[in-house]
Amino acid sequence: MGGENNEGEMGFKHVDDESGISRVGVTSTDHFFSSVDWDPVVSGGGFSSSHYTSMVMDNPGMSCFPHYQTGSGYPDMPPSLLPFGDCVGGGPVLGSDKKGESVGRLIRAGESHQVSDDVVLGAPPSRKRRQLEAESSQRNKKAVEEFLEEPQRGSDQSQKKHKNDQSKEKESSQSEEAPEKNYIHMRARRGQATNSHSLAERVRREKISERMRLLQELVPGCNKITGKAVMLDEIINYVQSLQQQVEFLSMKLATVNPELNIDIDRILAKDLMQSRDVSSTPTLGLNPFSGFQGTIPNTTLESELQSLYQMGFVSNPSTMSSFSPNNGRLKPEL
Amino acid sequence: MERQIMNNKKRLFSVEPTELSPSEVFTRKYTSHLVPALKKLNMDKSPSPINQLTVKHEVDKALALSAQEFAWSGFLLQKLSSSNNPTTTTSSSSNGTRILEGSCKEDEDGEIEEKLSELRKLLPGGEEMNVEEMLSEIGNYIKCLELQTIALKSIVQDTT
Repeated sequence: MGGENNEGEMGFKHVDDESGISRVGVTSTDHFFSSVDWDPVVSGGGFSSSHYTSMVMDNPGMSCFPHYQTGSGYPDMPPSLLPFGDCVGGGPVLGSDKKGESVGRLIRAGESHQVSDDVVLGAPPSRKRRQLEAESSQRNKKAVEEFLEEPQRGSDQSQKKHKNDQSKEKESSQSEEAPEKNYIHMRARRGQATNSHSLAERVRREKISERMRLLQELVPGCNKITGKAVMLDEIINYVQSLQQQVEFLSMKLATVNPELNIDIDRILAKDLMQSRDVSSTPTLGLNPFSGFQGTIPNTTLESELQSLYQMGFVSNPSTMSSFSPNNGRLKPEL
Repeated sequence: MERQIMNNKKRLFSVEPTELSPSEVFTRKYTSHLVPALKKLNMDKSPSPINQLTVKHEVDKALALSAQEFAWSGFLLQKLSSSNNPTTTTSSSSNGTRILEGSCKEDEDGEIEEKLSELRKLLPGGEEMNVEEMLSEIGNYIKCLELQTIALKSIVQDTT
């Protein structure tokens, strides 16, 4: 509980910044709430100014509340009874609201002392909060964000929606980055809007970016390209060139067709040697593409070469060297 | 001997001789579709020169048949069955349109949209897909094209 000590202290240092205080208080309360029952607090604790920090430890942040309410510095902490009274009054409420309140209310603790509610939401990331709260209010925003995020992990959809609304209301003075969780567990980042439309939009965009990244691995020479437009250009060029190649090869095939005397195994053997160069890059990047692994193993050595290939060639930049005759060129691994 | 050497290198990984990678599966399917078709073409039309378009048609058909787990293969088959002329390659025409359209768009999003629609045209059935789906399909389409290229090269080299 030493951590909480610090939290309490630091929180109190932020007396001037009420929102910060509230947040801090909340965090410490959060920390306490989740781990401590109301009873010990109510039944009596070491409420005394001298044991302030310890009080913070033992009594879930309730000691903080009076300060926020009165706005007085913590040195002027009222006798134990006062916080008791306040806390007790708020106790049942808090207890009942343990899970119901959104974190947004946490942020607005300056206005009311109901901050404690939100605290209960989840496992208190006390240490993180402590570090963050030690910083300026900007960092506090981040703390809020993290605090918002972490309890959400275990919370259900209704809570998330609640937070959604709360954080929207809160947006004015605080950051808007209260993370929103939808069914796909997206996390809003700092400075991003949080209404449901933009969230869905963001999810969609991230999916698309994900696909673009995979395509980047698939298309040779695109590792250094940043930017959707250029990347799309490259993809288009590549697909067109592949199609042209196919066309050219089929044309060639038409001319040589009469001599068709093909042994499939031989073709596959050649394919193995050639395909190694072609598809070296996307060996592991193709999971969304139904698990293609970029190898065309030979008949007899298929699996071994394939696994070798996968392990050895993962980091090879794809060079499309198969478009130049590479028959019989074996990789040194063999 | 080779197996031993390779076993040493890959002892961490399970090796099952019967395991087929998707690429291999595709290539096998592809060659098994194409080669008989070509032979049939060859035999049927030996008196007259084989039509290029017919070969292309067979090539595309083999591609579509070998990749039926993907959405675009269905569209490709549709195209093939609806016309005798293969319509998968749109190289020259699409290049021209792309250049024209690209220069007219100044809005970046508009450009990207243009390119996306361009990409859609390249992919069989791309017009009917949404963007995410299209991007995934493009990925495996590229992969299949690569494998097809390799297979065709082998076939060509084998016969020359």
